[in-house]
Amino acid sequence: MSDERGAGRESAPPLVVMEHVTKRFPGVVANDDVSLELRPGEVHALIGENGAGKSTLMRILYGMYPASEGRILLGGEEISISSPRVALQHGIGMVHQHFVLVDPFTVTENVILGDEGSAILDMETAQQKVADLAQTYGFQVRPSALIEDLSVGEEQRVEILKALYRGVEVLILDEPTAVLTPSEAKDLFTNLRRLRDDGKAIVFISHKLDEVLAIADRITVLRRGKVVGETTPADASKAKLAEMMVGRPVLFRLEQPDVEIGEPILEVEGLLGEGKLNGIGFEVRTREILGVAGVEGNGQKELAEALIGLRKPAAGTVRLAGTDITGWPVADIRNAGVAYIPEDRHEQGLVLNMTLWENAVLGREDDPPFSGKTGFLFIDRIKEMARRLVKLFDVRTRSINVAASTLSGGNQQKLVLARELDTSPKLLIASQPTRGLDVGAIEFVWRQILDQKKEGRGVLLISAELDEIYALSDRIVTIYEGRITGEYAPDARPEEIGVGMLGAADTAEAS
Amino acid sequence: MDLTDIGASIRIAFTYFTILYLTGLGGLFSERSGIVNIGLEGLMVIGTVSGAAGAAIFAGPAPEGMGLGAGGVVLGLLFGALCGALFASVHAVATINFRVDHIVSGVVINLVAIGLARFLSFVFFEQATQSDPGGPHLARLDIPGLSDIPWGLGNAFQNLSPVVLFAAVLVFPVSFALYRTRWGLRLRSAGENPEATRSLGVAVAPLQWQGVLLSGALAGLSGAFLSVEVVLNWREGQTLGLGFIALAALILSNWDPRRLLVAAFLFGFAQAIPLRLDDAPLISLLPPQFINMIPYVVTIVAIAGFVAKVRPPAAAGRAYEGAGGT
Amino acid sequence: MSTGGATLPAPRALPPWLESAVGQGLALLAAFAIAVSAGALIIILYGENPLSVYSAMLSFAFKDVTSVGTVLSIATPLIFAALAVSVCFKGGLFNIGVEGQFLVGMVTASWAALTFDFLPGLLHLAAVLLFACFGGMVYAAVPGILKVTTGAHEVVTTIMMNGIAISIVAYALNGPLRFTKAPPGQNVDLRTDIFEPSALVPDLGHVFGVGGSAHLSWLFPIAIVASAIVWFLFRRLRLGYEARVVGSSAGSARAGGIAIGGVQIKLFLISGALAGLTGMQQVLVERGALVQNYEAQLGFTGIAVAFLGQNNPIGIVFAAVLWAILSRGETALQLGTNLPREFVIILQGILIFSVVVVYQVAKRRLARRELQRAGAEVGLRDTATPEDEALQEA
Repeated sequence: MSDERGAGRESAPPLVVMEHVTKRFPGVVANDDVSLELRPGEVHALIGENGAGKSTLMRILYGMYPASEGRILLGGEEISISSPRVALQHGIGMVHQHFVLVDPFTVTENVILGDEGSAILDMETAQQKVADLAQTYGFQVRPSALIEDLSVGEEQRVEILKALYRGVEVLILDEPTAVLTPSEAKDLFTNLRRLRDDGKAIVFISHKLDEVLAIADRITVLRRGKVVGETTPADASKAKLAEMMVGRPVLFRLEQPDVEIGEPILEVEGLLGEGKLNGIGFEVRTREILGVAGVEGNGQKELAEALIGLRKPAAGTVRLAGTDITGWPVADIRNAGVAYIPEDRHEQGLVLNMTLWENAVLGREDDPPFSGKTGFLFIDRIKEMARRLVKLFDVRTRSINVAASTLSGGNQQKLVLARELDTSPKLLIASQPTRGLDVGAIEFVWRQILDQKKEGRGVLLISAELDEIYALSDRIVTIYEGRITGEYAPDARPEEIGVGMLGAADTAEAS
Repeated sequence: MDLTDIGASIRIAFTYFTILYLTGLGGLFSERSGIVNIGLEGLMVIGTVSGAAGAAIFAGPAPEGMGLGAGGVVLGLLFGALCGALFASVHAVATINFRVDHIVSGVVINLVAIGLARFLSFVFFEQATQSDPGGPHLARLDIPGLSDIPWGLGNAFQNLSPVVLFAAVLVFPVSFALYRTRWGLRLRSAGENPEATRSLGVAVAPLQWQGVLLSGALAGLSGAFLSVEVVLNWREGQTLGLGFIALAALILSNWDPRRLLVAAFLFGFAQAIPLRLDDAPLISLLPPQFINMIPYVVTIVAIAGFVAKVRPPAAAGRAYEGAGGT
Repeated sequence: MSTGGATLPAPRALPPWLESAVGQGLALLAAFAIAVSAGALIIILYGENPLSVYSAMLSFAFKDVTSVGTVLSIATPLIFAALAVSVCFKGGLFNIGVEGQFLVGMVTASWAALTFDFLPGLLHLAAVLLFACFGGMVYAAVPGILKVTTGAHEVVTTIMMNGIAISIVAYALNGPLRFTKAPPGQNVDLRTDIFEPSALVPDLGHVFGVGGSAHLSWLFPIAIVASAIVWFLFRRLRLGYEARVVGSSAGSARAGGIAIGGVQIKLFLISGALAGLTGMQQVLVERGALVQNYEAQLGFTGIAVAFLGQNNPIGIVFAAVLWAILSRGETALQLGTNLPREFVIILQGILIFSVVVVYQVAKRRLARRELQRAGAEVGLRDTATPEDEALQEA
């Protein structure tokens, strides 16, 4: 193991020091007196739960936010990083979790943007420079390719090339593996080690402990905006890190309700659509949670949207409790007993500028208790229902008359769950149901999903988090390029599932 | 309609092309930087009144005017462009600095322009709705070679305003600036993904300001061309919605200056039809009011038919939250 | 949830509805103050005294009941036009075509007035008003259907429809609706025949001692009722609720099973009906005929009034009256000052701009306070949201 680590440069003076950094947002302290040292030739992992303040801290270092208090030293001298431009000038670069690339531009255009050299572009020279750089560090990508034609892994390489082109010494990577397949992640790690050996300091933000233990030289743990400890992989274990992150021993498994799996409730056959769904087929039974595991962007979103009726499949059938619902409008599918937790609750779940009670009735506004045949809304009944749901699901708010935008992410998700489950569905489609939530909210959402089994409902759980798939599923299928590539028991090893996540065809070639 | 008429029709189309292309390019710069500008019509209106005033001031005969001749007319046109840019800065402040919805601000621009034009007209000409007809203008050109084409087609290339040629060759510097320079790369990136632009240390707001000011200058120039070079005086309402038709041409061109050249000419031709069809045999049976509808109907049909096939700058119309910060 | 040192004290809370009402009121006042001061600057540049100019404008509007009645009758078509704009706006649609819809409404209403002259009394008027709405609806349906079926943006199509509408009026006056009974020997402007009195909206002003020159008719209370209906639509009816969802978040509307296209077309129809009534003040009250030099631009002014009233049906009534006071001020300026009457248009322009800007700024501040409160009450939030980042920039 030790040869895989950085050369232990305890002696080298730190490149960058952040001292007593505090960052306040309205009503929230995101970073509370955080100090951090980055040394040349190390991979420094910054770990913590969602909302622990990892990204905020690094955005301060990258000049995207000003710190409320504290200072930043570069090579021993205090500097003020007022913008990303200044950060780049100081040799600090960042690759964001959500890539910031200009889709209709080429790789080269994206890389040189903001650092084009002359006023009139010299594309040939620039392409050559980008190609050389890609060659040197192993981030292979065609310089003249358009971003919109690249895979997610290639886009990430472009992001890293952007930083390297500017000659950064400190490279911050925010959750870089979230979008990668295991093999792509492995390639990334190889290249990162090359950069480290070249003397660069790499900040690796993550909440995936296995990865952190594999790549990091040093680990700093954040919790609720504060540093709760610093350690090295040699001195840490997964369980210990998890406890540091969460502040208490973590529940990796919740108790499964003891129910008998029943009849098929959802049967999907040969679903095709828009190049993203390539003949998907599976079934979900009553009192069963089917977990769909896969790297993001392999058709999960399209699958969920096709099932709820937001997309019309080009071919294939969807049957709900024996009834063919293929191609039905959303309203009819909902009325037939399908509930939907969208992967993006701001985009498809809530109307942020409308009140909680108005959100609570969305999708049910034409149901008998809430409005009459003549089109009148029965507002008293709607508000009564909203109050009941807010109480039942412990949505923390001062009133049901405030806008949904005033809720925290966890409470927004509780509101969506409450609304969807209140319709007594036969089937729940839960797409990335805990994305962006803190631990407490995750546990709440998980329990609610598990409870559906007791109600005799089927659940289709689509998640990019293997932990979540493991914690909830009775059966697991993997999705790859719009196809189901494998079916697994809930106790299958992650390596086995990983094979499916890479696609069966790829595996055949590899072996 | 004989061939002589076709030549004349094309010449009229060239005039409309100039108006639509200049204004459309203005919209292109603004929208490529991420700021939707449906205020083009209003910016043109300001250009018409101030351009006519500028021409009167700089090229008009003494004692009121300076009598600067052709140079004075050019100064007048530039004055129209300047006033267009100044008025566009209102749109820039609202959308870039205060993040007002782009459509809302554009609509307000159009509303205010009508009143502002009257006010300016009162200031410049001491009458609210028009200036004296027959103002100074540039000498007309015949294009050597082309104007000698037989069968009357040469007609199309005779007696043209120099501004028409200016507009037509503008495609080269604009394409170069947009696709071959640092500034163009940055401007386009701001309209596609301002977060990417900003994260590389390029300030978005100044780029968008430049885009909007250019749109004002070009729409103002287009308006000034209309009042100074085409109609030869300012009249209220003379823009006739051409700013909106330019917007439609811009959409159909997929925000590309080269394709806009074609779109502007086609729409210009549609504009010329009502003026030339009066004496065409069959169509003259239609009530003239129906012929006047043709340009608008053509625009609606074109937009409805092609809108699904174009792709606007991804971030256009979005109030970019970071724009004020850097 | 205990959060240790991570919370800040909660700002004092008013009930949400009151707070937003107070906030909106303050924003409007601020915008008004800005516009009045900017106007004062222009007045000073013209060498006049702002105080006396403004007081001349105000006192002229309120100098007697007839003057007040005139203000209300000027406001009447603006209320219809602005309501038409706001109905679409709530659903995320920009109906710039109110202008064209109101022109077509005048044509269809005039046709009905001339065709159904055999109908007795109020029935005649009812038919005329119905056809005014109907004309506006049909004309508004075109951009609505184009939007839903082809995706053609309503801003472009409605503007083109406005251009076409001008030709439709011209065609009607030259062709089918051209007068048949011209007074002999006189050179009459192009117009329709004068309508039977039964087609006209009865005068209301005389009840309050308002002079006939004010043209205050029963259309004004009809406009008020229309605004109440629009309020009811958006607060109490399912369609209004769905429209607001569509206007605020199309994605959530679709995922909630709302048929977006259907809602949008219905909004266009309602908007068109209201737009159709816009021209009735001039056709059925002031002129008793459709004339060639009709008053245009009302549809566009309606957009301004809608913004000024922040698309709130009650706000629109007040905004229309304010607009009318300013417009009437033009006459006051001509009578008592050296300012050109166009000064009023500039003042109105500055006013709308400051309203849209101030309202935008106020909205952000309000959102910021709400976030602060949420943060303080709920404790540390999961993650910095895009809103946080936005506020950071503010």
